Amino acid sequence: MKNRLITLSVNGRNYRLNVEVNRTLLQALRDDLKLVDVKYGCGSGECGGCSVLVEGRECINSCLTLAVEMEGRNITTIGGMMRKGELHPIQQAFIDEGAIQCGFCTPGMVMKTASILAKNPCPSEDEIRRGLEGNICRCTGYENIVRAVQTASRVMHESDIQAAGGARP
Amino acid sequence: MTSRLLAPFDLLTPQSVSEGVQMLAQYQSQVAILNGGTALWNHHRKLKHQPPYILTLSALKELDYIDYIPGEGLRIGAKAKICDLIENPVVAARFPALYEAAYWFGNPQIRFMATAMGNILRASPSADCSCAILALGGQVVLQSQSGQRIVDIDDFWLSYDVTARRCDELATEIRIPETGSTTCSSFQRLTRVRQDLAKINVAVRLEMSQGVCRQARIAMGCVGPTTKRLTGVEQLLVGNPVTDELLQQLATAVKSEITPIDDQRSTAAYRTQVSGVILRRVIERALSANMNCDSRERS
Repeated sequence: MKNRLITLSVNGRNYRLNVEVNRTLLQALRDDLKLVDVKYGCGSGECGGCSVLVEGRECINSCLTLAVEMEGRNITTIGGMMRKGELHPIQQAFIDEGAIQCGFCTPGMVMKTASILAKNPCPSEDEIRRGLEGNICRCTGYENIVRAVQTASRVMHESDIQAAGGARP
Repeated sequence: MTSRLLAPFDLLTPQSVSEGVQMLAQYQSQVAILNGGTALWNHHRKLKHQPPYILTLSALKELDYIDYIPGEGLRIGAKAKICDLIENPVVAARFPALYEAAYWFGNPQIRFMATAMGNILRASPSADCSCAILALGGQVVLQSQSGQRIVDIDDFWLSYDVTARRCDELATEIRIPETGSTTCSSFQRLTRVRQDLAKINVAVRLEMSQGVCRQARIAMGCVGPTTKRLTGVEQLLVGNPVTDELLQQLATAVKSEITPIDDQRSTAAYRTQVSGVILRRVIERALSANMNCDSRERS
């Protein structure tokens, strides 16, 4: 098995990693960089628990992505959402709307919300529900999550979206 | 994190199509091709013997395109993603069956990673884009060291998980023939929840003239080992005005043309029962979209 040396920018910090080619991005984040805020759910791309942002805009399942394929990319996890010690408006909206029960899906939900709002700052309820289709929550029944996305959309400005995931392409 | 570890492999990262083709010629059946990765890893975990080499298309930016050539049709590069199909206005306007299949495909994260070519190469009978591409009469372009060959989609799936691609060939492009003002197409599927794989799916491409169907291609998935052309139903449809009576006749005829099985997503009995319903729906939807086009052109 071959290893490769890669550079990853995660939450604005640059890392140089020597990874085996069969390691997923999820393994690299959780096991190598100890960023356990990214959750391992199904491991097969169905639950969205491992969702992370790429280049501040697109959401991917890190469990289906090889770490070496992310060479040179900017990754954002929920650990990179806080600014100056304050919660990101999306995080605050999830708290305010009670959109969390066990909390396991929340990191993925918040990252997917950031992706939805980066592309469409004022989504309709249908657009929110379609956007969250790849993120499964087994506690809440989604009503409060949808409300949280709507609340976040109302309070957020363009600058917040940029701060969530760095520069937009 | 141990239950889903990927088996060890060596990763090949060709920098050009010709280098990729040369690597395939060297490693032959020892290599699997990684494109979007949404199906490959899940499929590999089920295999007893996993290939020791993975060839990734990640550096082949030249295969990331969707080109429309008026008079010829659509050319979809191997790296074009499902979400690219949805965002492309020509796909929505001229190839509605493909647009609708892409629209209902997987979930947003999967649509951002998966490709139409990967969907075809996976050779699964439940593949949504594959169903639409079969109805639209697509072709697959295969590149090897000895040159290029083009295989009709009708001849591409040999059985479940087996395609006409030789192991030294790289599938580089999907071609979809041009549609005209008399062409209409549509796609429908049934699932339990939206991001599920289909219980059954169906797509049609019809050439209509004054209410009479002149040519038809109908594809149905999850009703046999590969996505299937319904040639018997097509014959009943062609040359006739599309009446309620005829649609009823087609809905009955389809049942004798399919061989569904019981599996985790549905049963053979249910699939047989709904095959006629979904067939009727897809034809009606295709025709109503076509009528809307006609009235827009007139007004």
